[in-house]
This record gives sequence, C-alpha cells and structure tokens, in this order.
Amino acid sequence: MAKKGIIAGGIAAAIIISIIIMVLASQFGSETVNLDMQRMHGDISTAMGSPVLGNANAPITIVEFGDYQCEQCYAWYHNTKPAIVQNFIDTGKANLVFVDLAFLGKDSPKAAQATYCAEDQGKYWEFHDILYNSQEHIDNGWANSERLKAFAFSLGLDMELFESCTDSGKYSKRVQYNIDEARKQGANGTPTFFIIDSEGNKQKISGAQPYSVFKNVIDSMI
Amino acid sequence: MFVGLLISLSIISEYIFLEPYIIAHLPEGTEFGLVLIIAVSALSSLVIPMNVYRIRIIQTSKRKISGSVFGSIIGAAAGACSCGPIGFAVISTFGSVGAVTTSFLTNYEIPLRLGAIALLIFVYYTTVRSLKIECQLNK
Repeated sequence: MAKKGIIAGGIAAAIIISIIIMVLASQFGSETVNLDMQRMHGDISTAMGSPVLGNANAPITIVEFGDYQCEQCYAWYHNTKPAIVQNFIDTGKANLVFVDLAFLGKDSPKAAQATYCAEDQGKYWEFHDILYNSQEHIDNGWANSERLKAFAFSLGLDMELFESCTDSGKYSKRVQYNIDEARKQGANGTPTFFIIDSEGNKQKISGAQPYSVFKNVIDSMI
Repeated sequence: MFVGLLISLSIISEYIFLEPYIIAHLPEGTEFGLVLIIAVSALSSLVIPMNVYRIRIIQTSKRKISGSVFGSIIGAAAGACSCGPIGFAVISTFGSVGAVTTSFLTNYEIPLRLGAIALLIFVYYTTVRSLKIECQLNK
C-alpha cells in the first residue's frame, strides 16, 4: 500500500513538474536567442550580428558595419542597397549580414538592441528597414525608447515581449560585442563593408560608395 | 589652394573615395552640400592668402586672418565630423563630449556652412577695404 502511494506520488510530482516546464516554455519560448556562435565570414565573427539576408550558402558575403543614426548608412541603404539586393542577393550570388557599429549617439545602441528584440519575434529585417526609413537627426528623439516601441507596434509585434526585451537591456552585450568586432576589423566609420568570398578572402569598402564599386569588387571575387 | 581644399573637403565629406578605386560620387539629395563645399573652398582660398599678404608684406594686424581661418575651419568641420573616420576618431577620443560635438556639427551642417560662408564673405569685404586703404597709405 505504501509502495503504491510512493509510486502515485512520484507520478503526480512528475506530471506537475512537466506542466510547470510546459508553462514556462510557452511563456519564454518566443524569447529564445537563435545564435550560431560559430558563425564566421573570413576572419570576421558575425555570430552576434543580424540574420543572414539572402541565401546562406551564397559564394559571397557582404558584411556591413553600420549605425542606424548614420546619414551615410541611410544614403547607402536608399541609393546602393536596392541594386545589390536585386542583382546579387535575390539571385543567390551574395548574402548580407549587418553588424552594429553603434557609436554616433546615445540612441544608437538602443536602436541596435531593439532590432534584436524584433528578431526574437522573427522581424529583424522589417525593423531594420523601418529604422532606415524613419531616420532623422542624431539623438533628436526619433530613435528613443518610445519611438522604438511605436515602430514595434506598427509591425504588429507582441508589445509585452518587446518591451520586456528593450527595457531589460537584454541585447546590450550583443551590441557591444558587435562594436568590439568592428573595431577589431579596423572599421573606423560607418558604413564599412567587407566583401568576403567562400575562401575567406576579403575586400574592404569604406563609406556609402556607389553600386558600381560593389559590382566591380563582387564580380572580381566570384 | 582652391583645388587642394576642394579635394580634401570632398574626401572627408565622402564625395570622393580613394579605396578600392578612386571614384567621385554625388548621391541624390546632397547636391547643395557640394555647392557649399565649393563656396567654402573658393572663399577660403581667396581670403586666407589675402590676409597672409597683409600680415607678411604690409605688416598689419592679425585680427582678420583669425576670422578667415575660423570660417574655413567651421566650413570644413561641418558635416565632416559625422559617421566617417573623423567623427569616429573624435568620439573614440573624447567620448560623450565628442559625440555631442559631432552630432551638433552633423545635424547643423547646412546652417554652419552657410554661417561660415557669410563670415568668409564679411572677412573678404573688410580685407579688400583695408587693403585698399593700407596700400594707398604705403604709396
């Protein structure tokens, strides 16, 4: 009789523990971080950078070190990137990874962290796009906490998750890691690009240079 | 002097790139900025040599050259200190003070350059006037 009671108690405890684990998993499951800590492009660690835009197995990778408050990054985003996406990324010849070099103002790291909070909900690139379409003067409030939350709301993100992520500074170390990686690579301004081929050879392009420069470099490396 | 200034300002304002190829690029919406750079370069290359002449040949006061140098520096610094290597170096060296300075110089690039041009025009006008008087006196 006592044995039966112990077995029943054990089963009940196991069921209760399973339920608790399931509830916790359902609450925090969408905040898991999908990081590939081994991700390298040439000698550049992009483990803490953005998700890969385009075909992950493309022969060429473009690593962009950028700041959401940088007007040259804005210029590149609007003038050069569309042609690169159309001719190299959409065709599978190249992919792109964005790595934060958030140095221009106090709102730069906050904006960068917010993109990863959006990534938790599968909307990294949508948030990235909304930032570069909304850029104004440095630290004039366009990228403060309230505006970042407004952007998240407009993208239909779960606001409770997003706010807990941004308010807790969940990704502050991730952004700092990216800034350190940028300095290690000798990026001394934004945007700075590295074009890397499948063998790890890389070519640096500094500044918001025109499409023709990227085309020449990529064509010479394919 | 004009060509040297124009090329230098175009490089730091990212109208000319040296690597991986030497290329000039005028992005859409930045045309007015280039016009202001040309104006600052032209006025600086007029006013600074005139004041150097005043000081070295006529041995007169140094007050006006400080105005012309100040105008040239403001005209050059406005916009140059944004996300490029200069801004990065300033922020890395001076921290938050550097960040505030560079963001000010970036956010008010056009008004600062217009102010610098106004200052250079004023210095040019007063220099020409004083040169006329001083040259007559020396005769």
